[in-house]
Amino acid sequence: MNCHTQVQSQNPKLQPVRESWKSGKPMQWVQIHKTPDYVYFNHAVHVNRGVSCVSCHGDVTEMDVVYHHQEQSMGWCLECHRAPEKHLRPLEHVFDLKWKPTPNVGETVEQAQIRIGLELKNKRGIHAPDSNCAGCHR
Amino acid sequence: MSKRVVNHPPVDPNAPVYWRSLEERADDPQFKSWLEREFPQGSSEMAVSEVSRRSFVRLMGASAALAGLSMSACRREEKALVPFTQGVEWSIPGKSLYFTAAMPTRRGALPVLVETHDGRPTKIEGNPMHPSSKGGTDLFAQASLLDLYDPDRARGFLKHGQTATESEFVAWLKETLSHAGSGEKMAVLAERNYSPSRLRLRKEIEAKFPNLLWAEYEPLSRADYRAVSDAVFGEGVRYFPEISKADVILAIDSDFLGTDEGSVAMSREFANRRNPEPGGTMNRLYVAENRYTITGGMADHRVRVRASEAGAFAREVALEIASLTRDANLKSIAEAYPAAPVKVPEGWVRECAKDLFAHKGSALVLTTYRQSAATQALVVAINAALGGLGKTLVGRASKQPGSRSIEALGAAMEHGKVETLFILGGNPAYNAPADVLWVTRQAKVKQVVRFGYHADETTTLGCLWHVPAAHYLEAWGDNRAADGSYVLSQPMILPLFGGWSELDLLSQIARDARPQGPALVQETFKEELKKVSGGGEFEVLWPKSLHDGFLNGTAAATVPLTFDAAKAKAIAATAKPVTSKWEVVFAADYSVDDGRYANNAWVQEMPDPVTKVTWDNAALISPRSLAEWNQESGHNLATGDTIRVSTKAGMIEIPLMVAPGHADNSITIALGYGRAFEGGVCYRQQTPTYFGSGFSTWTTVGTNVYPLRGGTELYVAGAEISKWENPDGRKYQFAITQEHGALEGRGPDIFREATVAQYRGHEVDLYAPHHSVDAETPKKNGKLHLPSLYTHPPLDNVNQWGMAVDLNRCTGCSVCMVACQSENNIPIVGKEQVIAGREMHWIRTDRYFVSHPNNREETKEKKFSLTAVEDTDNPRMVYQPMMCQHCEKAPCETVCPVNATVHSDDGLNVMAYNRCIGTRYCANNCPFKVRRFNFFDFNMRPRGDIRDPKGHTFYTWNAVSDSSMADTLKLSKNPDVTVRMRGVMEKCTFCVQRIQEAKIAAKVHAKDSANVKVPTDSFKVACQQACPTEAIVFGDINDAESRLGKLLKSERGYRLLEYLNIAARVKYLARISNPNPKMPGAEIWEVHHAATGAEKAIEHATATKPEGGNA
Repeated sequence: MNCHTQVQSQNPKLQPVRESWKSGKPMQWVQIHKTPDYVYFNHAVHVNRGVSCVSCHGDVTEMDVVYHHQEQSMGWCLECHRAPEKHLRPLEHVFDLKWKPTPNVGETVEQAQIRIGLELKNKRGIHAPDSNCAGCHR
Repeated sequence: MSKRVVNHPPVDPNAPVYWRSLEERADDPQFKSWLEREFPQGSSEMAVSEVSRRSFVRLMGASAALAGLSMSACRREEKALVPFTQGVEWSIPGKSLYFTAAMPTRRGALPVLVETHDGRPTKIEGNPMHPSSKGGTDLFAQASLLDLYDPDRARGFLKHGQTATESEFVAWLKETLSHAGSGEKMAVLAERNYSPSRLRLRKEIEAKFPNLLWAEYEPLSRADYRAVSDAVFGEGVRYFPEISKADVILAIDSDFLGTDEGSVAMSREFANRRNPEPGGTMNRLYVAENRYTITGGMADHRVRVRASEAGAFAREVALEIASLTRDANLKSIAEAYPAAPVKVPEGWVRECAKDLFAHKGSALVLTTYRQSAATQALVVAINAALGGLGKTLVGRASKQPGSRSIEALGAAMEHGKVETLFILGGNPAYNAPADVLWVTRQAKVKQVVRFGYHADETTTLGCLWHVPAAHYLEAWGDNRAADGSYVLSQPMILPLFGGWSELDLLSQIARDARPQGPALVQETFKEELKKVSGGGEFEVLWPKSLHDGFLNGTAAATVPLTFDAAKAKAIAATAKPVTSKWEVVFAADYSVDDGRYANNAWVQEMPDPVTKVTWDNAALISPRSLAEWNQESGHNLATGDTIRVSTKAGMIEIPLMVAPGHADNSITIALGYGRAFEGGVCYRQQTPTYFGSGFSTWTTVGTNVYPLRGGTELYVAGAEISKWENPDGRKYQFAITQEHGALEGRGPDIFREATVAQYRGHEVDLYAPHHSVDAETPKKNGKLHLPSLYTHPPLDNVNQWGMAVDLNRCTGCSVCMVACQSENNIPIVGKEQVIAGREMHWIRTDRYFVSHPNNREETKEKKFSLTAVEDTDNPRMVYQPMMCQHCEKAPCETVCPVNATVHSDDGLNVMAYNRCIGTRYCANNCPFKVRRFNFFDFNMRPRGDIRDPKGHTFYTWNAVSDSSMADTLKLSKNPDVTVRMRGVMEKCTFCVQRIQEAKIAAKVHAKDSANVKVPTDSFKVACQQACPTEAIVFGDINDAESRLGKLLKSERGYRLLEYLNIAARVKYLARISNPNPKMPGAEIWEVHHAATGAEKAIEHATATKPEGGNA
């Protein structure tokens, strides 16, 4: 229950969660994002190196029902691994789903992202992280 | 472009010959065909009785069509995520959690560290914090994980073999004990165990029932050792060899690096003192034994002595030492020992004794529990004369109370003095001495309560109750490690089948209640705490000790040894040497020990380190003895023919196997096989022959040898052997892996060695040009010229992984094989499939016998033949662990048509299983035969061989039958490694999952910085972790400060098949022997080599060629 003992403690939408807590019967969450069992994916390494939740899962705060925002195929993974600058952001903004880079004068948001992304990429020494098979398949 | 022709080096007629089997040695045509095929004949074809390929396709078509019909929608299946409502303590989904525990054995507990995932143990490693084992394990500890998930475990309480409840048993027990009086009609038969909590409960039970008979039985009994120790050093003092202080060791029938007590710690100490690098201490090992053990393989000098003559051999040594030391005590003890003839090469004992004498104070003579009390006492006396007491032989006090023997219990049962018998573990119906007549006597006991892990032979013998035993990872417990330190064990999974721990049962008897959680162990812990100097707070030290796995400061202190020569003399005089034509030796098995691990498929499939036999035991006989026996009797017996062995106690029929290096007129048979318990592993289905069709039969795995043993002796001097006709007239088929990895006779290049004098004398090239191999490396203008057509991505990662294997430290114990199997979800395949060459081990330990030209009579005219015995009498034996070499220019990668095997930027040769379509081209092109193909869905079949519920033949399931895996076995899988499916090539990945975990940890730690290098030696791979001698070292080849970096500097380093320019990432360090030049047989080390100066220069260039680099 953690936070929800305080926040939204009476919200009827959280009734199943409260019931599960009382009865000890686990919740049956519908799985939206699914990694095949031959793929090993690690959240920690992405989140701690500046890839935001929003890059893979979309802006969940705007979704009435969570849906598959990105295709999450192997090609899609590799696309980002080959050009991580499109997604890298300062670590303090990783969990801020609304964050957008501030463009300089005459710059689009996309261009600003590339600029900031490249800076961070150099700073963190990220160069084409593990795009060989063993990064995900072991 | 013309094809590059690789010239394999010519064979130097003066070089030693490395051979894997007698067939290879004789260049047998069958062996030739093994060599030339990637997999043995038939392994890549389906067998006759299988569904033919055409019908398979038809069936597949039909099932695909059916599958189409059932595919009602193309939407993907909706699945639910079901998290814990209340999470497991400390558990983070997807991350492993480690707990300490201690695996109980009869030798004291082995401290372990257990990896768990979501509350299920998945891997057992040694506890690196414990000062005596230092992270090493034996293979039984590795394999005990599979025991936890054994589907054949007893699943609940049984009364008269029928399912009963726990509360019924508790009520019955209470009722029975209330009538037990002082326990005069009660008895307990227990296994040896050093748990202090158990000891406390035993004392409580004995106080409650003072007339209770408490007996203890171990088939591999050390009772004689304890008796000798009590007599010559005083009551309660035990002596232990201190290998770390010994420079010269003589092991008489002692397998101290293998099956003997405390071998994990002793192996490490031995290897640590065997450092050939300049300035290192290099010990010397003499071995006298009747059969090859892995200790014999490490010997600098080995002599074959029959087990029944080992005492006489020790006497010869004692007399020599006595004359050198002028020790009157030793002289009188040796003379009191009855004289008997023993055949040893002239000068062997004399020179060995001189060497021991020259190292007075750091010399050690060892023998084991296999030998009589008289021999053990004599050996202690030799050590005393050599000034070893307190140095190479140290004393520790033991407070273990004595128990009655199984013979005494048997007699009480015979006379009706036992009405209620508790059998705690063990399996007397299978392994009790034949003279105890257990089976008939157990029937005379009114009520037998059996506490056991399996409802096995003893349970099915009409026990009233069967109490299911909990695995040691399921219960609270404590124990003492080999050094006497107090170790704790905690449950990390609830009992899968409601088992009780031994402490539960004893507590129920003593206190009429089971202990509440750790309460009982905590009571003991508080008592232990009092003994620790300075004491300490329970609240602080309990969690700390639970975390560390042991209570610091509890290791037994050494006590001075005062030798009582008169008592030793009296014991030595009790020797009864028997001369007879044949002796039978009962050996503790490397795989199943005394039979307790027989239902564990990992150990069953691990090839015996010496014979390389899987799933079997055999009657081992020397080539010379067999040849002579054949000549005398007119038989034509060979490996696979069955003989009858009989002793006074009984007789058995068992297939024969010729074993090079075995003593003559001696038969060795491993204990622990032929279990009648119908476990899925130890009781198997067999087909009459591999290619044959027809009906299969059920059989035990191997042959039970216990009927030959009257008492607890481990050899019988007077034995008879005779030929025995197999009813079906066929030869017995062993599943032997020794030829499976044969490498085109490239032994001399693959395995390199020298003596310590040659090595330290900076004749570093001795071991290479001697084999004239590196001279074959292509060169241009006197420089190495290594062009390559192979390409790989730039090796530009900050970490470049590699491995070094120190052949000087490897004993061949094979624990790496089981550790790898456990870590990497490697399936077992069963005996028939091993015969077909389909075993799946990613790492193997290649064993070579070595014959030297000097002791070989073979000439060009006179070719070696199988019937000749010249150099099979006492060849040397060496080991080489072999795994994927992760070649930088890997031949396997270029031939894969689908890019399923590629190179990573950190130097790994990786496999993408999902891309693999199973062409097996890669295995064809691998020069090391390390790629294994999953021919069937080995992971999805039950362990051992298949029990087919409907069919009769073995193979029907392969093509279309339902596949399944026992639910409990699913729990044993490592979630970080793919469980591979059929039709996929697999091989050593350098434990890529551990590498990834370390890399992820480094990156998570790096956060915003660019420091993503994995810290030096921050993790170990599975084989490295398990290795008791630290022979395998993994790490970053560019990190000069790492363990690996330091090893790579050694001049002993060489890479396999360098002349093929494959640039292997695994480096082997040559084995260095330390022979005594005065010993008979030392002349084999005089190396004949004809390397020219130019070749030497190239040698040097090869040796100093930098690591890594691009093509």
